[in-house]
Amino acid sequence: MTTSDTSGGDRPGASRTHRAEQGSRGRVAWAPGWRPLAGSALLDRLRVTGRARPEADPALVADLRAHLGLDIGAGRPGPDGPVVVTGHRLTRALACAAHADPEGTDGREPTLALACGALMDVLFRQLVVTGSIGGAFDDGLDALSVDDRRLPLVAWIGALAPAERAGLRAEVDRQAEGLRLRWPALDPTWLPRTKECLRVPATDGGFELVARVDLAIGRPAVDEASVALVDVTSGVPRSAHVADRRFHALVETLRSGVPPFAVATYYTRTGELDVDPVTADVLVAAARRCRAGLGALVDPDAAPWTADDPTSACAACADGPLAVAVPREHEVPPPVPMAEVRVAADLDAVRVGGSMPFPEERAA
Amino acid sequence: MSVTASVLEGPRTVREPAVGAADGWTARVRDRLVDGVASAVGDLATGELVEVTLPLVRRAGSRPESLGLPDDPFAWKPAFVRRSLGLAAVQACADRRFRAPAEAVGPLAEHAVDEWRRTGRRTFHWEPWFAVLGTGARAMVLAEATTWASHLWASADWVGLGARARIGGADDLWTSPAPGTVRLKGRCEARVAPATGGSGTALVSVSPGSPSNRWEEELGYLALVASLRAPERPGPARVAGLWPDAGMRRTVDVDEALLSASVDRVVGAVSLVARARVTPEPASA
Repeated sequence: MTTSDTSGGDRPGASRTHRAEQGSRGRVAWAPGWRPLAGSALLDRLRVTGRARPEADPALVADLRAHLGLDIGAGRPGPDGPVVVTGHRLTRALACAAHADPEGTDGREPTLALACGALMDVLFRQLVVTGSIGGAFDDGLDALSVDDRRLPLVAWIGALAPAERAGLRAEVDRQAEGLRLRWPALDPTWLPRTKECLRVPATDGGFELVARVDLAIGRPAVDEASVALVDVTSGVPRSAHVADRRFHALVETLRSGVPPFAVATYYTRTGELDVDPVTADVLVAAARRCRAGLGALVDPDAAPWTADDPTSACAACADGPLAVAVPREHEVPPPVPMAEVRVAADLDAVRVGGSMPFPEERAA
Repeated sequence: MSVTASVLEGPRTVREPAVGAADGWTARVRDRLVDGVASAVGDLATGELVEVTLPLVRRAGSRPESLGLPDDPFAWKPAFVRRSLGLAAVQACADRRFRAPAEAVGPLAEHAVDEWRRTGRRTFHWEPWFAVLGTGARAMVLAEATTWASHLWASADWVGLGARARIGGADDLWTSPAPGTVRLKGRCEARVAPATGGSGTALVSVSPGSPSNRWEEELGYLALVASLRAPERPGPARVAGLWPDAGMRRTVDVDEALLSASVDRVVGAVSLVARARVTPEPASA
């Protein structure tokens, strides 16, 4: 049972047009002839989810806060301040032993994939703000060079062997060209905001939910959802992306009191756009996962989260064997493999209807 | 996160018009501050400046040990430009020159650079730095300013407020007459005059992160400096704080208790800074 309309996305494997065929073990194969959306069609995919936009629901927000223990007041900030809970940290905390990162390197040692992602990140931002990208690779390096935190990566790119650097440049140029061709101009009155920071502190200061979305569109909501959130990635679709964007939906809902009407992931490598309309069910599932991750962060030795959720706790496991075949952040994925075998990411196992999203807690 | 209602509606403290000799409580607050900082500077050499800002007051409360650390050498970065360019963008939108900050930041930045090149005069301070940036780096500057300004722009009906709202403007400054030199700098993002000729403006402050549990005193700091700066005029009657990251807005009415609490925060911060400068160990709360 699914709770979100992944068919509303551009992802070929999820489309209602049956461009893809369901393979064995949950894999989805791309059908030939698929083309990524562009311009107004891409924008419509994001804006028109096929569902009514959610309205402000204070009771749901209160339930979500209670489930996460945001108002318990039992904790205290540590010496370094509150525990910062991000989507990435949740994914790491919930990873199984096989996919854990025991050395804590967090996959952040410079790699070609990481460099490509960082460059596409700033190029997307540039395109949204200025409407153009010149020489993509040079513009990207230029942008990274004014970010202190990115200077080691800039130096690393500068030290690449000529062949590696040329390969990186070619891939960045290719992805940037796709962006230029496909990404629509956004009306300034929609208040497009790049690298929007979302924070929800626990009342006691013990922890803080933090997300930084690549793009937020829409005026702040009052009574009805008016904001869409978009993450941009240069990698291949992964279950963690679904979990991340739903975490972002959760944080935005808690932050503003009104859910975003859609959360999406845009893949610059292929031009795919995965869109989740935000529903109460999506938020509840995200809250459950967040709570499990919080528990794992606080007590890493705690029993792994098995719950009823068949997505399990570990996003890498949900991706199946492909996750091993194409390790995240460790190589630049090949360009646009139209027949690539993909995994249908389905994190929509939890469906709780009505106004009691956490019935077990209400009963308690 | 609209701030308009919170600033303009509801009860508002009526401030006494003269903050100087004729004003009872504000004068008492000033005396308390002068005495407090004179004591707090302790063994600092005469003439050694302690500049107090709202971020410093906050840091003294949350991370006092950091006060003893040397500051990084200044270098321009996009985050340092976003406020000044963002404020200009919001003002330009309020003047109906642009529809939204995303439309305003680019032309405003280019115009500032052109003016600097033509006249040598800087509208902001960053024009020479911005002028030599490449396309990608410039875009990051504009992106930072757009995001920052969009929050402020969406927080109020700035067009509707019209001339009552002054966006940006010079910092409020006040220097203690006591031995040693303590200078208070208050920086708010907007000032909104009362609707019907009453006294007492409302200040609007935008901060990153989320409010601390002493947010009232921190907003009160801005009212304190604004009151001290122009004692012949009515001080602010209310301060509205926006924390866009957290989607929060809070307001506080200005009275003697609030300003006194803010004075105590300032004195505490000055004391910590002085101690950190005199002793090699990090200061502690």
